[in-house]
Amino acid sequence: MTAGAPTTVGAAGQGVAEAPQPQPVLRVSDLSAFYQTHYFGIVREVRAVDDISLHVLPNEIYGLAGESSCGKTTLIKTIAGAIQPPLNVVGGSVKFDFRGQSINVYESTPEERNAMRWQHLSYIMQGSMSVLNPVRRVRHSFVDFAFRHIGRSMPDFLDTVVGHLERLHLRADVLDAYPHELSGGMRQRVTIALATVCRPEFIIADEPTTALDVVVQKGVLAMIRGIQREIGSSLLFVTHDLSVHANLADRLGIMYAGHIVEEGPTAELFASPRHPYTVHLIGSLPRVGDAAPKKGLEGVPPNLADPPPGCRFHPRCPLAMGICSRETPVMEWAGPGRRVACFAAEKGITA
Amino acid sequence: MLSILKDLLRYNREFAAGAALLGIVVAMSAMSALAPMPPDDVYVVPPDLPPSWTYLMGTTSRGQDVFWQLSFAIRNTLLFGFIVALLSRILSLVIGLLSGYLGGFVDRVLMSINDTFIVMPLFPILVMFYFVMRDRMSWAALALVMAGLGWAYDARLIRSIAMSLRTRQFTEHSVYSGMSTRQIVAQEHLPYVMPIVFSTTMNNINWSIGLEVTLSVLGFTNINTPTIGVMIYWANQHTAMTAGVWWWVFFPVALVIMVFIGLFLLAVSMNEYIDPRSRLSRMRSAKT
Repeated sequence: MTAGAPTTVGAAGQGVAEAPQPQPVLRVSDLSAFYQTHYFGIVREVRAVDDISLHVLPNEIYGLAGESSCGKTTLIKTIAGAIQPPLNVVGGSVKFDFRGQSINVYESTPEERNAMRWQHLSYIMQGSMSVLNPVRRVRHSFVDFAFRHIGRSMPDFLDTVVGHLERLHLRADVLDAYPHELSGGMRQRVTIALATVCRPEFIIADEPTTALDVVVQKGVLAMIRGIQREIGSSLLFVTHDLSVHANLADRLGIMYAGHIVEEGPTAELFASPRHPYTVHLIGSLPRVGDAAPKKGLEGVPPNLADPPPGCRFHPRCPLAMGICSRETPVMEWAGPGRRVACFAAEKGITA
Repeated sequence: MLSILKDLLRYNREFAAGAALLGIVVAMSAMSALAPMPPDDVYVVPPDLPPSWTYLMGTTSRGQDVFWQLSFAIRNTLLFGFIVALLSRILSLVIGLLSGYLGGFVDRVLMSINDTFIVMPLFPILVMFYFVMRDRMSWAALALVMAGLGWAYDARLIRSIAMSLRTRQFTEHSVYSGMSTRQIVAQEHLPYVMPIVFSTTMNNINWSIGLEVTLSVLGFTNINTPTIGVMIYWANQHTAMTAGVWWWVFFPVALVIMVFIGLFLLAVSMNEYIDPRSRLSRMRSAKT
């Protein structure tokens, strides 16, 4: 990886001196994307991604966690530039900075976005088991999706694919199989191969290991990490499964109701969560030797079409104060590489 | 593909019977290439002879050999059915796939045209075409008109599948990787609907041959091109049944019934190959 010149990215308001960081590959600033529908005179707006900023460094694995329907998928869809109405970007920007080539996803032409895909940025969508067309052989999926982007001759391309599959412990004959002839783990690995065959600098994955049992999941995770280290790309991935994050992610962002509420290096985040939501999320994980019954969090996630005022977590928050229902907390730096959006955490109170 | 055919022939009696029936019909139409006389010539053989070794299916009151006449008739009828099916398949595929995939405005426009065709009564329209075009109503023109009328139901069927395919992961992925609409529809969605297209092709051939025979028997087509319907038309003109020349009517009718049954059996057994569930239930019932 090209270690860029020292920059001041994310240094604003950061009291702690930090080692010079390489230029981030992905910079998301103040991104908001809403589902906007307008039927029969009724305007409905679901604020699935609301004012989110984050960055991902080269060679880094960034995990996004949060419960179902908190906007994880919408966020990475928006980052990948794969949105369709009724989902619209209403503010902010998504900038990729590939080796010497930068692109602002929502200010570029479709051609520019197209040229970036697969070559620099690949995206494994949710339900990656069904990314392969069930009535076509696996070979065709590779040719249809990746061939146009790799810029090589067909035999050369197929050689590359076979070599790449080997790295994921898949035999070349899976290319001639139909997806239903492969096991779940194999299909998942084929999908990963599909996303990484062009050696992109940035990989976005939505629940890459969901629907796999833990044993297969462990193997697949190791392969994702291996291939990511090998081609030196960055990975942004989403899953609600915190144990996967603990295994894979270098840095972790916790989402709640369309906001990122806490962010930090995975190990630190697990060791000392600051945001009360994170505390409960991590507290819900079973630990070896811990026989105490787990306590659930009261209430349900808010309706994103009509979120509560102030901090969106305050109706369920055990630490809620008066200010929480009036003002929205902003993401603030809380130690090296850590950010948290919570009034209580600001004052040093933790759940 | 060959092994599938072999399996179908071996394990599926409907398929074997249908293939045998159609084989006879196709062999019959292939005989037209060996015919000793052109189909339009009349009074080339002694009229009104019953079937015998010299004239296998007898001769007509117009002095034609029924066997050779029938070989031309069935060839034209099969070709007619095939061309109508081919053209209407192309129409229904293009319209169904595009309408289902694109949705929105395109879908609304195409489907309103489609629904218009579905509710239109076809037979009066075909008769009207004949009265407007009269002598210009050739065999090919009729095929074009029928193809233009015969796509609507299947376009709707294909559209419904395309609509579900549009929401699948692999379609989203294709869009994301920059495939054009044409590529997505032709490469990703077309293979998905092909089995249904095979099945509806059989039905469409049956439908078009049935209508063609109906129109011809009533004299609403070009009566100088021999088809099954035209043969029956001429037999009726010469009151063949009352005159006791039954072979003039019997053989064309028998052959066209073989076509119908053969195609129906193929469509049914093809369905079994396409739908694994019915294949499973057959395997289960075979065991018990």
